[in-house]
Order: sequence, then C-alpha cells, then structure tokens
Amino acid sequence: MLNSAATDVSAANGGTEATAAGPPMLAVRGLTVEFAAMAGAAVTAVRDFDLTIQPGEIFGLVGESGAGKTTLARALLRLPPEPGRIAAGEIRLAGRNLMELNETEMQRLRGRDLSMIVPNPRAELNPLLTVGEQIATMTRVHLRVPSREARRMALDMLRAVQIPDPERRMGAFPHEMSGGMAQRIVIAIALICSPKFIVSDDATSGLDVTVQAQILELLRRLVLDRGSAMLFITRDIGITAHFCDRVAVMYDGEVMELAAREDFFFRPRHPYTVMLMAAFSHNQRLRRMWSRPEALPGAAEPAGACRYVARCPLAQDRCRAEHPALRELALGHFARCHFPVRP
Amino acid sequence: MRGLLPFLGQRMLFILPQLFGILLVSFFLIKSIPGDPAVLMLGPTATGDAVAALRTKLGLDHALPMQFWYFLVDLVHGDLGTSWQTTRPVLEDLLQRFPATLELVTFGLLLAILVGVPFGVASASHERGWLGRIANAYGLTAGALPDFWLALVLIFVFYTILQVVPAPLGRIDFAVLPPPTVTGFLTVDSLLAGDWAAFASAASHLCLPVLTLGLVNAGPILKMTQSTVERMLHSDYSRYEVLSGLPRGMVVRHALRNALPSIITIISVLYGYLLGGAVLVEIVFSWGGAGQYAVQGVLNSDIYPVLGFVLLSAIFSLFVYLAVDILYFAIDPRIGR
Repeated sequence: MLNSAATDVSAANGGTEATAAGPPMLAVRGLTVEFAAMAGAAVTAVRDFDLTIQPGEIFGLVGESGAGKTTLARALLRLPPEPGRIAAGEIRLAGRNLMELNETEMQRLRGRDLSMIVPNPRAELNPLLTVGEQIATMTRVHLRVPSREARRMALDMLRAVQIPDPERRMGAFPHEMSGGMAQRIVIAIALICSPKFIVSDDATSGLDVTVQAQILELLRRLVLDRGSAMLFITRDIGITAHFCDRVAVMYDGEVMELAAREDFFFRPRHPYTVMLMAAFSHNQRLRRMWSRPEALPGAAEPAGACRYVARCPLAQDRCRAEHPALRELALGHFARCHFPVRP
Repeated sequence: MRGLLPFLGQRMLFILPQLFGILLVSFFLIKSIPGDPAVLMLGPTATGDAVAALRTKLGLDHALPMQFWYFLVDLVHGDLGTSWQTTRPVLEDLLQRFPATLELVTFGLLLAILVGVPFGVASASHERGWLGRIANAYGLTAGALPDFWLALVLIFVFYTILQVVPAPLGRIDFAVLPPPTVTGFLTVDSLLAGDWAAFASAASHLCLPVLTLGLVNAGPILKMTQSTVERMLHSDYSRYEVLSGLPRGMVVRHALRNALPSIITIISVLYGYLLGGAVLVEIVFSWGGAGQYAVQGVLNSDIYPVLGFVLLSAIFSLFVYLAVDILYFAIDPRIGR
C-alpha cells in the first residue's frame, strides 16, 4: 500500500514516468473547477487538485458537504455540475488524456471505461423503464451486444449484486424498490461494462447501517474481481477506515491530508483530520479541543491564507499569510499544514 | 394492465353525474340570456295573443325547473328538441354538423402536434441554439395571432393570389356529389366509397382551415413540449443517463417519454376546446359546422341547438379525457397500480 502511494505527488508531470507496472489507473493533475458567479470573481470549487490511483486500489475521499466532492466526482467525467467548468488540469485514465477527447469520445467512455455510482438512486433511475431495461441498455449501447444477450448479462449482474429473485426484479420499476435495492441497481449499471475506473459519490449515504455494510463489501469484491479501481467519496470518515486502501481528506476544494489507511487513522497529521476523528469521539474535552464551532465552514479566507485557518485551533500568523503546500511528511503521508500535529 | 378495469369503471361511474351537472348549468345560463323565442319567431307584427299561444305551445309558460324537467324527459327518449331556425330536430342537425367540425378540428390538431412536438423537443434539446430562439418566437407569435385573421391571410395568399386552393365555401365543391355518410368525415367517407374526385375536393377544402388551426394551436403544444422536455432533461435521471454515457438522442427520447403526460394533457384540453373554439374559422370558411350552429342558436334565443351542442361536446370531452387517462396508465407505471 505504501509503495503505491509513493508515486503520488512525485509523479507530478503525469504519465511520462509510468512504472514498469504501467500507468496509474487514474492520474489527475492540477484539476481546477470554477463556477462563474453572477457578480465578482468566479467561485472555485476544486482547486489545483492532484490525485493518483493505482489499479486494484480503493481510494477514500472524505469531506464535509460543500467541500467540492460532488463537483470533483463529476468533473472526472468531464461533466461538472452546471454552470461549473473545468478551468485547468489534466485527467488521465490508464494513460489516456481525457481532456483531449471530443464529446462523442467522452460519451462512449462514460459508463464503459469510467463509470459513476450516484447517491439517492431512486431519483436517478428513469421512473418509466424497468430496472432490467436500464441495466441492459448499458451493454447494448456500450458493448453493442444484441438485446437478448444484453438481458442475459443484466440478469447475471442482478445476481452479482445479490438482488433476491432476479428474474422477477428485471421487470420491476424503480418506484417498486427500496433504497437498498435501488442502490444495488445503480451499482449494477456502473459495473456491468467492467469499467477501468469507478467514481462512487456518497453512494451509501441514504442506507441503513446494516445494508451499508453489505453493499460496501459487495462493491469492494466486485471492483477487485474486475481489476478496476475506485474513488470512494463519502462524508462518513468511519466508512473509509474499513473499506479503503488509502484515504484523503478534502476541505474547500483541496486535499488537506492523504495517507495509507493505517497511517491516516493512527497517525493523523492535519488539525482538520483530527477534528473529523474527534467528532466521532465520546470524549467531550477532545471534541471541544479540536473544533471551533463559532467559525463557519467555507467562510471567505484572505487570498494566500490556509483555507482552514478560520476553523483551526492551532492557527498562527504564518497560516494567515502563507498558503501551505501539500508536503510529504513521511513515506506516502502528505499533509497541507505549516504546523502538522505530532504523531 | 392489472388495475385498469376498476380504474375505468370508477371513471365511467362519474360520467352521468358530470353530464347532468353540465346540462343543469348550461340550461339555466342560456335561459338567463334575455330574448323571447316566441317574439323572434313571429316577428315584430305579431299580436300579443299569438305570442302567448306560441309560448304555451313551446312550453315556455312553465316555471324554469319544470322546463328543465321536460327537457330531460325528452332527452331520455332521444329527443334533443327542435330548432326553430332550421325547423328540424336538433339531433339530426347536429349529426350532420358535428362530424364536420370534428373532421376540421381533428386534422387541425394533428397538424399542430406534428409541428409543435418536434419543434418543442428540438428547441428543448438545443436550449441556447438558433432552433430554440425560433421556437420561442413562434410560441409567442402563435399565441398572439387571432385564428380568423390568419385564415383571411391564408385565403388571400393561397386562393386570391396563388389560386392553388378552392374558394373558402364549405367542405366540398358544389359540383361534386358528397359520398354516402358513414363516419361523417368527408375525407374518410369518400375513401371508403372509393370516390377519388370527392376525396380530392374534400381534402383541398380542408387545406386552409386545417393549416389555420394547426399553425395557431401548435403554439401552446410547442411551449408545453419545450418546457416539460427541458425540465425532464434537467432532472436527476436524465443527468444520470448522461453520466452513464448514453447517447444524446436516447437521453432526449427518454425525456420526451417522461414529458408525454403533460403534452397529452394540453392536446386533450385543446381538442375539447376547439369544438367550439374553431367557430371563427368555421365562419370564415362557411364550414357549416357545429360551432357555427351553436352560435346562431345563442344569438337567436334558439335554446335547443345550444343545449344539444353543449351536451355533445361534453360527451366528446369526457371521452377524450377517458382516453387520456388510459394513455397515462399505459405510459406511467406509477399510476393506478
């Protein structure tokens, strides 16, 4: 795990220094997504974002709402939420630069090589089509298989995502399914073409904890069986502790800390990470120590300051004057902080 | 289709009370229009005695609720009363005129759909393109154009100047024998009779009035299609289909299918409305339709043609709405199951 992380930031110039194992599954460099504001300067939701994910890796990305997670997820498919636009950066999928593809090539790639698992699946599925049709459409469109074969593959996929009574469920409509069932359908749609890379955007947020655990296990197995890789975006830092190989924390459009799972949870270095973990703690004193509830997230920071300065209990003058870079503090362990917490 | 039959049965149950309510309201509304048919029938030189005698004969001396009761009793026996203007039973008159209007309105609406739906979809899927702008301008213009004015312009251009269509006088050339009546639609009946000359004449007479109704009524259909398809294209599932890499055409097709209930609703409302709403176009083209007949009735205190027209239109509208419900049922799996 650690050596896969080592290629991160050091591979800053993209696929040129690909290792003998081939290029990383996903390599993002300097991705910046801006929203044009009605008045004044554009709002930047994702700023100068770097990310490298290796084949077979499940990468957890944690952040509060408003951190830019969904914008990042959709920008990876080159479809940032309206009216956002990708202002700069490079996205490479298995070495192929997505920014150089035209819209038709992108459309063929989405759902086939690069697919997305969405939250709130009951609203995301087409209410007038049976779920069987919606899964089968993916292979008909992307793999050009005949209808009968597409149906058979869809049925196999329903079995793979452990839907009970799959033959009957093929003909069910989205409104006839529970949230957990619909989530499995969306996973089936995302995985049926065996994509190289999967972006999961808060996919389990609407589910009961027991169902969540089942679906995560299922997702993990399916991703690994197919030799894919996954970016797992969530608000729930607890999920990543069991599920992801590496974890990063995102705040206001930037990665604040990135490390292999054990490192991340046993030796957190960024005050924001510590705050997120303390929030789960039963220790009142610990929680109070690391949070400043009077400060609002996303409050306007002076340009050139650390984005977290207003909420940081350790902030000093330097934090207000100088924007910290993402530094490697230990092998594969990165933090964007002038005064990282001692492990 | 499980659940369709109980659903339809429930709907049928309400048809008779609905019809009764419509008749009740229209009877008393029409009766409240000032004007005495006896005076109008006998003319200005009639004596008071003669008018009184005719009023008794027509049953006008009874109290209003009694008159309504007699009307209902006759109705149950299939008698819609007699028009004093045409001196013929209203039912006979309407059976001749209603299909004329229905043929005009049906073809007009078909044209409106053929224009409105594709343009609406195209402009919704190219929101900021030139097609969207043309569609917006068209929607505005079509809403602002009076239909009789457009009819006169079309007559001027295609009859007076270009002379490619026959004179705007009725449904078929005077020199052409109309086909035997089966459906009352001259185009359909002439085809059934294999009478090509009659078909050509009927079709050419339909051109301009159908064009008028089609172009004017494509406006609301276009606007409705555009706004609903646009809303569907911004919905979660359309966005998800785009994220899943489905081709643009398929995403738009699915959005249209989700938008169909709203589009069908506006079409059905227009259909019912146009039976009477096409009257100005009927007058311009001397169509001899049911709308014209009803308006003559209102102007001359001839109550039975008006009531007959209201009744037939109501029955027609109720059946259109019933058909619409069945369509909703077929389109949307969430309804009624």
